[in-house]
Amino acid sequence: MAENNSAPPPIAPPNQGVPLPPTSAASALAEISSAARRDASYRPEAFVVGTVGQDVPVEIIDAAGAVALRLRGNPAWLTESADRYLGKGLDPAMRSLMEGILDGAFGRLDAIVISSDCDASQRLFYVLREMRRVTPEIAVPPVYLVDILHLPRESTARYNRVRVRQLLEVLERWTGNRVSDAGLEHAVIAHNRRRELQRAVMELRRSPEPRLSGVDALAVFAAADRMAGERYAGCLESLVAGGDELGPRPGTRIFVTGSTHDSPDVYRAIEAHGATIVGENHDRGELLAERDVAPARDLESLLDAIADRYQYSGPTAQRGSIAARAEHTAEGIRRTGAELLLSYVRVMDEAPLWDFAAQRAAASVPSAVVVRQPYGAIDAEELDVALRAPEQTGVNR
Amino acid sequence: MSRHRGDRLTAAGDAVAYQREWFRGLQEHVANGGRFALVNADTPHEILRAFDIPYVVNQWWSSIAASRSGAQRYLDLVAERGLPRDSEQYNAIGLGSVFDSDPATAPWGGLPRPFLVLGDITGDVTRKVFDVWGEQEGITFFPLENSAEPEMDGEWWDALPHDWERLTGSHRIDLMVDELRELIAFLEEETGSKFDSTRLAEIMALGNEQAEWNRRTRDLLAIAVPCPVSVNDSISSVMVPQWHRGTEWGRDAAEQLYREVEARVESGSALANPERARLMWVGRGLWFDLGFYRHFEQEYGAVFVWSMYLAIAADGYLRYGDDPLRALAARFVGFHEHLYVPPMSAEWYVHQARQHGVDGVVHLVSDDPRGNWATTRALEAAGIPVIEVHADNADDSSYDVDEFRGRVATWLTKSVLSSDNVEQS
Repeated sequence: MAENNSAPPPIAPPNQGVPLPPTSAASALAEISSAARRDASYRPEAFVVGTVGQDVPVEIIDAAGAVALRLRGNPAWLTESADRYLGKGLDPAMRSLMEGILDGAFGRLDAIVISSDCDASQRLFYVLREMRRVTPEIAVPPVYLVDILHLPRESTARYNRVRVRQLLEVLERWTGNRVSDAGLEHAVIAHNRRRELQRAVMELRRSPEPRLSGVDALAVFAAADRMAGERYAGCLESLVAGGDELGPRPGTRIFVTGSTHDSPDVYRAIEAHGATIVGENHDRGELLAERDVAPARDLESLLDAIADRYQYSGPTAQRGSIAARAEHTAEGIRRTGAELLLSYVRVMDEAPLWDFAAQRAAASVPSAVVVRQPYGAIDAEELDVALRAPEQTGVNR
Repeated sequence: MSRHRGDRLTAAGDAVAYQREWFRGLQEHVANGGRFALVNADTPHEILRAFDIPYVVNQWWSSIAASRSGAQRYLDLVAERGLPRDSEQYNAIGLGSVFDSDPATAPWGGLPRPFLVLGDITGDVTRKVFDVWGEQEGITFFPLENSAEPEMDGEWWDALPHDWERLTGSHRIDLMVDELRELIAFLEEETGSKFDSTRLAEIMALGNEQAEWNRRTRDLLAIAVPCPVSVNDSISSVMVPQWHRGTEWGRDAAEQLYREVEARVESGSALANPERARLMWVGRGLWFDLGFYRHFEQEYGAVFVWSMYLAIAADGYLRYGDDPLRALAARFVGFHEHLYVPPMSAEWYVHQARQHGVDGVVHLVSDDPRGNWATTRALEAAGIPVIEVHADNADDSSYDVDEFRGRVATWLTKSVLSSDNVEQS
């Protein structure tokens, strides 16, 4: 894996212990932004489980005494090795992520848990599983698929409940730790608290004068498993408490839908036009924080609640219905006071293309789409048209 | 009914003629107020048959449209609704027909409007296409989950007919059984008829008989040198009856195919003389250039002796057991994994290549990549030359016939026909 771009700014070393919380919202944001850029776990001495996709129940990983690290690609990485295995017909974000695995970019990875949150995730799992079988000369950590499904039916719920229990057994085997009722309850409470804080922070960019940019919001979500939990919570609390200290952001309020963004590059390009991304519904952003795990005390009830939470998380473009996505998008626009809906669709990520017509029809504001965009970038001319004359855009450009 | 092209299998011609007649009957049925369902290929059609509800298979309909210049017409209609014109065309072509207001000029008189669409949630887009179907007036979309398993056995083809509970996974079967019960409740409500489990058992038995005939045909063709049947013919002969699975006609058509192939083998019939190379076609059929296969038979003596259509009909459908609903669910849980997910797919392709004694493999890679690396790797590791060719099998808009055939010809000449194992002309 070679870099085809200049190196990002240096990343601050992870905080050891729990030092005093940041003294200002600005310093909290700086700390979060720095952690968000980290590729490897903040706890390399722990049993590190790389996760792929939004449907991995991280509460169980924590309860098993392991540390989760959500893996992501990097638009600056070339993907020659990954392309050989995944082919070039797959979402470049997933090819980039696989390149990171093959190249050791994520530091220590004791195991990988992949969810069925999209076709590309599943294909990555199948390839890694096959590589472990037939190419022993290539180091691939143990890999497991947690097959959480999403149809709103009781039959799907029963199936998911089996799958989360199987994941728990696998994690216990990997780590040698037994998950207790109290341990799982603690993890659930901690993650619910994290999501609650994330939602509170997101209010900062929804206010009439947004105090937080979309780039900052992405960092808030990306940093969640890249710094110690207590420290992360402390930073979010400082942000909420001192949000008014941050300068107001002028410009068009945009709600972003479509593909996920595992780097801030596209958001940065959009906001460079003087706009602010006030909300989104992809799984590197606010979609992650919308739903909590219902509280419970015993292990069985907690596992059921976790399964249900992940079944009903979303709707993502890849797993949600067109109608559910349209309704969710319209609600997001209302909630955030957005003035423009912008669907960003990455090349080889085709599900959002099918959502757009219904999203446009349901939206109470003008809507634009930019399609078949390169990974981590947006065509400047198309962005300009999208912002200037959104009605001229369509999925069949 | 033997009025077909000289060298064509009677079974193939009969199947196509039957399907035409059947489709005409379906149009009449709908014109007279009857209802029908549109179904994805790998879904449990048998439930509909148990209710005597006729159904059209989306992929079959797409192939009809694509091979009769309907693909662009239907994709245009999809695009006019603000939906993508160039995404998952294989399914989108079928969708276009629901927007077609001029059936008189449509392929085969166009597809009437179904009351039900039955589809599995495979990939990211298939469900979206069916969502759009479901948004049209009078149409209900009933989705089935597409479950996956963390660990699978690579060798499944011999044990699967009886040992499906273990090989498929009980939890996955449980899920689909639950879903089928919901589907049955919906159909009972819609039709006013009661589901008959005995009738389903009969349908399953007929489907198994059909699959057994397909297995005999496949095994016979695997060892028949020279090969007496073109891949075009075997596709039509197998796929049309596959869409009538669970009927006496479907079973009898499969037997007819076997008898005809047997007679050809006994008479020494050959597609190419000399037969210089035996090839395997991995991937979907190249619907808009079906002359591709004949071209290589005639020009190079290279015969395609294998396609997935007969082979999966032989190995993919057999499910025996006392509980017909559970056996049916086991037939379709993870059906595509045998074709596209390693290790199941990769090991099966190697097994099939060896059984058929192939000299080389042409591997069609579509934009939706499905285990291509694993398939090609496994075949090459088994010492079999492979060429990967790229095309969308249902959309010819970017297909260059000369370039496509030329690439295969170059590979064939250099990597297969030059081998000591093949007969030199």
